[in-house]
Amino acid sequence: MRLLKLIAIVLIVAWSIGPIVLGITTSISTQREVNSIPTHWVPQSPTLGAYRALLNGSTGQVSGGTVVQGGDFVHAMTNSAVIALGAAALTLIVSTMAAYALGRLRFRLSGGVLALLIGTLVIPIFVVVIGLFQVMANSHLIDTKRGLILVFVATQSPLATWLLYTQVREMPHEPEEAALIDGCRRWQAFVRVVVPQMSSGIAAVAAIIVLSVWGEFLIPLLLTTTMNAKPVTVLITEYVGKYTTNYPIVAAAGVLALIPPAILALVLNKRITGMLAGSS
Amino acid sequence: MSGTITLESVTKQFPGGVVAVDDLNLEVEPGEFLVLVGPSGCGKTTALRMVAGLEEVTSGQIRINDRVVTRLPPRDRDIAMVFQNYALYAHMTVRNNMAFGLKMARMPRAEIRRRVDEAAAMLGLSDLLNRKPRQLSGGQRQRVAMGRAIVREPAAFLMDEPLSNLDAKLRVEMRGEIIRVQRRIAAPTLYVTHDQTEAMTMGDRVAILSDGVLQQLGTPEEVYDRPVNAFVAAFIGSPSMNLVDATLERDGDGLAVAFAGARIPLAADATSARPGLAERAGGPVKVGLRPEDFGRPGGAPIDVHVTRLESLGSELVAYLTPAGATDGPVMTARLDRGEKLEQGEPARVTVDVTRLYFFDAVTGDAV
Repeated sequence: MRLLKLIAIVLIVAWSIGPIVLGITTSISTQREVNSIPTHWVPQSPTLGAYRALLNGSTGQVSGGTVVQGGDFVHAMTNSAVIALGAAALTLIVSTMAAYALGRLRFRLSGGVLALLIGTLVIPIFVVVIGLFQVMANSHLIDTKRGLILVFVATQSPLATWLLYTQVREMPHEPEEAALIDGCRRWQAFVRVVVPQMSSGIAAVAAIIVLSVWGEFLIPLLLTTTMNAKPVTVLITEYVGKYTTNYPIVAAAGVLALIPPAILALVLNKRITGMLAGSS
Repeated sequence: MSGTITLESVTKQFPGGVVAVDDLNLEVEPGEFLVLVGPSGCGKTTALRMVAGLEEVTSGQIRINDRVVTRLPPRDRDIAMVFQNYALYAHMTVRNNMAFGLKMARMPRAEIRRRVDEAAAMLGLSDLLNRKPRQLSGGQRQRVAMGRAIVREPAAFLMDEPLSNLDAKLRVEMRGEIIRVQRRIAAPTLYVTHDQTEAMTMGDRVAILSDGVLQQLGTPEEVYDRPVNAFVAAFIGSPSMNLVDATLERDGDGLAVAFAGARIPLAADATSARPGLAERAGGPVKVGLRPEDFGRPGGAPIDVHVTRLESLGSELVAYLTPAGATDGPVMTARLDRGEKLEQGEPARVTVDVTRLYFFDAVTGDAV
């Protein structure tokens, strides 16, 4: 039994870690070594050339088929960060208030609103993509960061509201009632007492949104055309050439793009798992 | 500081039709400590929350210091409340918890500091002002909640079972502390509890509530000595009063009460003080015997069977059934530790006949 468990764990870890390890070794190999047969699992002469090419730019000749414009990668990383953080901040403002209203205030149809909100979680994005594109085009929001931020606020806020709603429901009423007696209006009690009480949940939901928006690919692919708003997920695919691909550069880009969310996940690991398990 | 809290015909009906508080009339006098007591679900907390403004009033009027506050939001009522679970602001220090209401009132900083320091000194919190609530014990948190209430110098104090989260020893200690602080502040206080001991030991007056209806309002002595009905009689006192179905019989010129094989002649003055008794002669009646009225010298003897004995060290608690009625009512008696009783054996105990209570067999009203 213990042996089976061990085997299962090893398999799961290999399944998760394998691609990352492969990515790292590829990124410090040369194009030639990647293409060599038999495969070199460990590079014989490790090099940071791919990283240098990615950050400083390279020509097609040097990097074997992939032309890298200097500065593009950093620009795309910045775009990703701005979009993810912007979407997280706006989503949290909307969702925290919505969760409080749905969880605390008694009004007609509050149950219906929540059901509708959760219902949107099961609609796949592909269904609405054409309409979304038209709306964005008509609003002149194609290829803008704020356009992407707005779309992600719309796609992320149902889950965020739902998670925060469960937290509001579990929170004791008394501190905010004490605040009302202590002289607060409802919104003051919300800002000064309720939001601080929810801080751990808000942090966890913030991390969940940032991670999920950082990894988004389809929507930015559709809604961006230039480096003005292109996030790193979309840029990486452009390093894949039509006839040849410089695998070390693609791998290096993947590894670098992985670092910010990995740090976030490590730091907030406990809070995120707690939140998703419903205990926060 | 002096003021009053007045509830006039206050009724609360929840959506769905449940009437939590039914036509409640109550006045807390200047400086008075009034305890609202009753079993859980009797409407006492709802009544308190209506005074605080946390629950809407269905009908009736609430006044604080003769100012009508029925429809005012809590912040405009000039009250302070202590909650059962303390309700401290977890992200603020003790000092900021206490200062919060004063800051909201835009009081000058120097005055806030003075009031918080003074309240902290009164409650023994001076060394804890920079701690967060989670670093405090239950008793300390309760003190902070008290401090937060008193720095406001409100027109009225509301307390919702503030001691029920504390352990027994601390509860007794804090009872005294709350009374001491309240006497010093001298603001009218409405205190809600389900614990009759707290009610009796703390209240200037006690209001007993059952199913949303006020049963009796009086000093602890009044509600103990002259309960208006069987509910109050059973609720006040610990252990509870024994209520036994009995028959009133004529006994020469006087009356006797008979239940489950026992027969106790009544003293003449007990009969004459209660004219209602004579009218019920030959009929059923509920008799109340307080556990502490057993075993008195000079009382009427009754033969019983001892079903169980509990020694509390200072006294004995005996569970007795009248002899010859093994399936009869079990009566609780508090007896002197020197009483010679054996579990499972018959015995003869005395009952103080001058301390019997009588209630209508149907309505439960006191006779």
